Amino acid sequence: MAEAKSAKLIQWQLPMKRVLYGLIPAVIASIYFFGWRSLVILAIVNVTGFLTEFIFLRRGKEPVTSAVFVSNFILALSLPPTIPYWMAALGAVVGILFGKMAFGGFGKNVFNPAMVGRAFLYISFGGQLTASWANPFVGFPGGFARYGAVAADIIGQATPLSQLAKGVQTPWLQLILGNISGSMGETSAVLLILGGLYIVWKKAAAWQIVVGGFCGFLVAQTVFWLTGLSLAGNPLYALFAGSFIFGVFFVITEPVSASQATNPGRWIYGIFFGIVVVVIRSFSAWPAAVMFATLLANMFAPLLDYLIKQRRQKRKAT
Amino acid sequence: MYSEFSKGIFKENPIFIILLGLCPALAVSTQVVNALGMGAGVIFVLLGSEIFISLLKDFIPERIRIPSFIVIIASFVTVVDLVMQAYAPSLSRNLGVFVQLIVVNCIILGRAEAFASKRKLAESLLDALGMGVGFTLALLLISAIREILGSGTITLLAVGRFDGVILIPGLSSQPARVLALAPGALLVIGFLKALFNWLGMRKASRTVWKLEKMSAAGAPATGAPAGAGGAS
Repeated sequence: MAEAKSAKLIQWQLPMKRVLYGLIPAVIASIYFFGWRSLVILAIVNVTGFLTEFIFLRRGKEPVTSAVFVSNFILALSLPPTIPYWMAALGAVVGILFGKMAFGGFGKNVFNPAMVGRAFLYISFGGQLTASWANPFVGFPGGFARYGAVAADIIGQATPLSQLAKGVQTPWLQLILGNISGSMGETSAVLLILGGLYIVWKKAAAWQIVVGGFCGFLVAQTVFWLTGLSLAGNPLYALFAGSFIFGVFFVITEPVSASQATNPGRWIYGIFFGIVVVVIRSFSAWPAAVMFATLLANMFAPLLDYLIKQRRQKRKAT
Repeated sequence: MYSEFSKGIFKENPIFIILLGLCPALAVSTQVVNALGMGAGVIFVLLGSEIFISLLKDFIPERIRIPSFIVIIASFVTVVDLVMQAYAPSLSRNLGVFVQLIVVNCIILGRAEAFASKRKLAESLLDALGMGVGFTLALLLISAIREILGSGTITLLAVGRFDGVILIPGLSSQPARVLALAPGALLVIGFLKALFNWLGMRKASRTVWKLEKMSAAGAPATGAPAGAGGAS
């Protein structure tokens, strides 16, 4: 027992820490646009997620890996700012327990735990996850002086993507800066790209996946747009509206559930993700494209790795 | 003899251990009452067909045994289907085509082929009961989880004034809807299977540990203190 107690409570891993650093701008943006309530949600998700993993690892006999915080940050930032506290906590428990620990803990999760938790919430509590967005705060001091959106701001505020379906375009500057309604951490394209480039530069995220994701997305969106199929319209507009940038930098690159073994695998994985996002956005009745595309791509990642490795072995043999 | 009955409930539970009859388990486990009805139907068909097949096993030619089994099973399923339509029409509507599909349910055909066609009548009878009860219990567990968490209710048979639906305060207003939908069935069965596997593994490792302790106790004194110290 003495041996177990002396073990560290948390095992910090450098790539995971870097992802967290990369997410800090998005966290600040979420406080600015949606008030301090978003920080409270972030804290709740982190504490419940950590406790879930801690209890599952037999109360400290093994250290909790820092990956749990990355999952928690991503889950919290992908939720709408008006979400009830208990719902956010439930998402963290489901994501960590059934998305990660049930599969054997860190390094063995097939799916991105954050997206598992979010998918659970999204399908279970459709109202809170899809129809209760908040208007962002603007000007100085913005959300830094407010706790959260008041009831008047909340009712059915549409996001730029859902507005577009009705033919209303949000101004470009707003889209890029992020004072639009949406999930807590996914609105500010500029800050997300900054953080994203940081983690790609530090090799915490594989650049092949990110570039592949962008290529797949833009090509598919352009093809759909030109053929007049897609509701999402202009590819650049579609890129900045919604959570694609957040997804392609931070969600899809999660090292355990992504296809990480080979370079061709990374490319295919990223491109597949980009295309599937466009397809889901254009045709699905449940347009949480980034989330479902991530889960779908996760599912094929082990198969990709396996097939490519097998092919290489065959080539070596001949 | 008793083990022929009990093995169906735990050690060879049709749904969680040998993974038979998953299709109806996925489809009808949305409400507890469906699980009860389906379970009762399966127990009846299993009993009837295993008894008949066990009795007739010497007269059925090897080559056409499967079609013969199907004919026997289908007769009992027809009985269940008609009785259900007559006396429990709402249940019959809920279960829909899955009552008729008991004909091709792999639990029944599987037990007929693997057990009843080779064993004596009494053993087959106990096996049918055990498997049927095991299936029903598993279905009840799945449907209880799905209905309580996914809809916030427990639906039982309507008796007299009681309409059969128990609302669970707090959950019925905002249930986790995903569990009531189709993916919920797969998730619940998958994670329950994982849980039972884990329990089985733990039990196995405990038995090994017990055996080691017993042998350590019997061994010379040098080995025992070390083992005891490590355990406490």
